[in-house]
Amino acid sequence: MTSTIDTAVPAGNPPPAPPRADGRRTGGRRRPLGQVLTPYLLLAPAVVAVLALVGWPAVLVVLTSLRKMDLGELVRGQVVWTGFDNYATVLGDPEFWKITLRTVLFTAACVLTTLLGGLLISLLMRQLGRVVRTALQICMVLAWAMPILSATTVFQWVFDQHYGILNKTLVLVGLSTFEGHNWFASGASTLFVIGVLVCWQAIPFVAFSLYAGLIGIPRELYEAAGMDGANPWQTFRSVTWPTLRPIVMMMTFLQLLWDFKIFAQVWAFRQGGPNGESTTLPVLQYLKGIAGSHFGVAAAVSVLMVVVLLVLTVQYLRMLVRSQEVDL
Amino acid sequence: MRADRAMTPRRVVLSAVGLVAAAFFAFPVYWMVSSALKPTNQMQSTGFDLVPTSLTGQHFLSAVDKPGFGDALVNSLVVTLVAVLFSLVAGLLAAIPLARLRFRGRKGFLLLVLVAQMAPFEALLIPMYLMMRDADLLDKMPALVLVYFAATLPFTAWTLRGFVQGIPAELEEAAMVDGCNRWGAFRRVTLPLLGPGLVATSVFGFITAWNEFLFALVLFQDQSKRTLPVWLSTFQTAFGTDWGGTMAASTLFTLPVVVFFLIVQRNMVAGVTAGAVKG
Repeated sequence: MTSTIDTAVPAGNPPPAPPRADGRRTGGRRRPLGQVLTPYLLLAPAVVAVLALVGWPAVLVVLTSLRKMDLGELVRGQVVWTGFDNYATVLGDPEFWKITLRTVLFTAACVLTTLLGGLLISLLMRQLGRVVRTALQICMVLAWAMPILSATTVFQWVFDQHYGILNKTLVLVGLSTFEGHNWFASGASTLFVIGVLVCWQAIPFVAFSLYAGLIGIPRELYEAAGMDGANPWQTFRSVTWPTLRPIVMMMTFLQLLWDFKIFAQVWAFRQGGPNGESTTLPVLQYLKGIAGSHFGVAAAVSVLMVVVLLVLTVQYLRMLVRSQEVDL
Repeated sequence: MRADRAMTPRRVVLSAVGLVAAAFFAFPVYWMVSSALKPTNQMQSTGFDLVPTSLTGQHFLSAVDKPGFGDALVNSLVVTLVAVLFSLVAGLLAAIPLARLRFRGRKGFLLLVLVAQMAPFEALLIPMYLMMRDADLLDKMPALVLVYFAATLPFTAWTLRGFVQGIPAELEEAAMVDGCNRWGAFRRVTLPLLGPGLVATSVFGFITAWNEFLFALVLFQDQSKRTLPVWLSTFQTAFGTDWGGTMAASTLFTLPVVVFFLIVQRNMVAGVTAGAVKG
């Protein structure tokens, strides 16, 4: 199946095409209306879907954030505009700032670990022999492909207080304080476990992407650097890093975008507990809106999240377009 | 330079590090499967048991037997498959003009797809909930179908556009010279060549929707309407510390994803190098 595509592709530089009979690319002066409309008709279902299911909710989240909307207003169908009251409520709550700081720190720690881990693994992969490298790649694909919810259940079992394999192993190697250690006793510890899980699943993607960049670097460059007497660090800085840098930047932004809005893992572990100590912004949004029925306040939290994500996304898209990964 | 083909100490150390890394990534998966196969009396023991001494299929039977599993499986399958089918159709229809035709506003449409692809769905939870509530769709399949359709559509359209670009338009033109009309040329030439791309794209859509948790949790609050991820997340609270059963259920939930993932990986890489990346 793959070969079909491969052989079909090398369109290379085809000889100058003869004038096309249908004139669709030559932009003939008079095209029948049907032909002019065709692209728009074909695009219509997708565009309508995107506008109705992404565009309209994006407008609605802003509108909702400017209204008082609790269960009462929702049931009665009342529209009560309150300007920026919800924002004042959210921003005036010290708990919100604590949660924001926690989310930022959690995101930063996850992204940093993921990028560093991915970079080291990709460098390692190039040094490995074929057999070990393939084994490592298969194991990484497994971690990458595992559904998030399966992964969270397994990690809870691995980190289980009494029968978890981790505590048993730590006791076995002589760290007896870990006997019956509760990894979920505090928010920081809970978030640490969640962070390990997140990085475990994210490193493979980063490692594969960086490795793809690495194998594109011509061997001769390394040989030249070797002849010039460069040490490994100098070789990395002047040969490897210039190639990897753009990929690392893209991966950083993608991971920032993904890790900032993590919900499933945090919720599935301890629902943001104990005592709300592992609550992050996406969980706060859920707790305020869905669990607490303060839809206006929750929408304000959403909008504040979107602002952060938007800044990151714009940066990412600019890089993407500039890197010619995407040809518009 | 050729010397590093030999078994130098450096090479041995690197291989060892590589194997440790491999074990780190594989362990949770191994632990899930081996715990699922381990008899219950071995689960609740304080002994160190990295390798199970005896195996049982008991946990799989009990997981499947647990209330809600059948419903959740059907719900997950229906919602996922219908959503992927929708986004495949709409995505392909959009991919063709974006890849093949020149028309006013083409760049704008491409940008729209790209922006929709990057849209933070999680932050649209509240308006989505309110919209579905207004449309009286809470606890009804179409709600999740619509959300997953919207979530997978931009990616589908974008990737399929890459695949269509990878098929030379000259092939279609040749068919038209031979007497096919536009639609016939597309159906007989491009569509068959697009096969691997359609498979790869739909599998990725499937995995996205199959895994989705937040919207499934919020839009389906009726217990009988839960999808598998949500069912799995309540497994422990509902059935105590039945870790064997939980691991068996997780294994069953993981299986289709890993199988699909392995099938498509090679296809996907070939497809991306062939069509999606400018070369």
